Amino acid sequence: MNDKTILLVEDNPDDEALTLRAFRKGNIRNEVVVMRDGAEVLAYLFDGNGNARPSPALILLDLNLPKVGGLEVLRRMRADERTQMIPVVVLTSSKLEEDILDSYRNGANAYVRKPVKFSDFAEAVRVVGVFWLLLNEPVPSHGPKSD
Amino acid sequence: MTQLAALSEGTFAAILEAGPDAMVCIAADGRIVLVNAEAERLFGYQRAELVGQPVEILVPEAVRAAHSVHRAGYLASPRRRPMGAGLSLSGRRRDASIFPAEISLSAIDTDEGVLVAAAIRDVTAQLRLKDLERSSQGLESFVYSVSHDLRAPLRAISGYSEVLLEDFGEVLGEEGRGHAERIVAVSEQMGHLLDYLLQYSRVSQAELHLQTVDLGEEAAQIAAEIQGREPGRRVRFAIEKPVKALADRRLIRTVLENLLGNAWHFTSGRDDASIEFGTAPSGDAAVCCYVRDNGAGFDPAYADKLFLPFQRLHAARDFPRTGAGTGLASVRQIAELHGGRVWAESAIGAGATFYFTLGGKGHA
Repeated sequence: MNDKTILLVEDNPDDEALTLRAFRKGNIRNEVVVMRDGAEVLAYLFDGNGNARPSPALILLDLNLPKVGGLEVLRRMRADERTQMIPVVVLTSSKLEEDILDSYRNGANAYVRKPVKFSDFAEAVRVVGVFWLLLNEPVPSHGPKSD
Repeated sequence: MTQLAALSEGTFAAILEAGPDAMVCIAADGRIVLVNAEAERLFGYQRAELVGQPVEILVPEAVRAAHSVHRAGYLASPRRRPMGAGLSLSGRRRDASIFPAEISLSAIDTDEGVLVAAAIRDVTAQLRLKDLERSSQGLESFVYSVSHDLRAPLRAISGYSEVLLEDFGEVLGEEGRGHAERIVAVSEQMGHLLDYLLQYSRVSQAELHLQTVDLGEEAAQIAAEIQGREPGRRVRFAIEKPVKALADRRLIRTVLENLLGNAWHFTSGRDDASIEFGTAPSGDAAVCCYVRDNGAGFDPAYADKLFLPFQRLHAARDFPRTGAGTGLASVRQIAELHGGRVWAESAIGAGATFYFTLGGKGHA
């Protein structure tokens, strides 16, 4: 599709394997970096040495994560101008109204509930990938600060 | 006012005597001077056994000493107040049994000196209800988290079965593929069951957001949505509008979606399918609505099973895309939450009519 990186934040190894398969089956061949808890994500995004890491083009974020939860990751990302605009799609089992509202309140770009049936799940992942990596016009690469 | 003022002292004493709360009056020395009929009943004493006794006779042994100290303190600065604010109070019956009580005190100046009147209420039932509510809330949130957490392994079961079908279909052979397909199908069904449990636990924990809703307008919208999903089918809808009722809009839409969706589903065998939404005489309820169809109907012998979760009256082979058998259970749960009820009438092959009421007697 292109050379953009996808960050998949998922602590369940089965969901990870099935999501990666769904990307493959959907012909989304971008590099996928997998993170298994929220602390790992924050360390990845906010490199302490000031080294600019290329931002992922899309983050698929589970809410229920070890150490630092998905909502907290979102909150911290949105509070920092370097990560403020990275598209985040919440991908979770929950359909709790509170979770949906909290996700949007904290700046999620979309909220997708994981269907039980794999072919539905694969289709959901494919549509999300195609939309955010291909159809959606990303933030210009110099970032929000350019004039 | 004048009429009230004219009530004699005797009438007032009679009101006190017949009052719903137990009343016990004591004199400054702590001895009982007056009790009413409810006090006799509550504590199990005859009046003559109480009058002249220290009030501590009605207090559990363990706290009698403390009680007489508090009593002296109260008499030093008497005012109207609940007794032992923040403490759990108890009373002691004649048979030495103890009950939880709510007690409020007031002081009365009389010619014979200060009297203290205590109104005592047995709160056993309230406490038990609170316990019950707490444990049922605990159960509902347990059901919620279980049904939520079971989705992840279920997704893996279904997912890997599909992987087997896609990548190893040839190795599996026809029979093996059939088994894997069954795993996928029942996983999906289990997903619906889990969704129902999620919804059930959410609804029973939900607070109703009551507002005036036009049920006819909602029904018309839902009918259009259903029709839109299968534009090829021709079904005649007759929907009464407006039907105003006090209801939780989100929940009542679930009711209408289920009833109209069922009517749509079970008329699928007919070219002249018709579905009707209207109102019937409501009796004690605020409103009584029905959804009527001319579809497959059901055997009235099983009418009482319809609204139980996971019950289906039609074999899957007759109506292959029938749901998990949880829709009508949700309908009943929501109607009951609104103080209403549900029932249905039918004969095999003669269509079905589903009724629900909202806002029964004694329901705001």
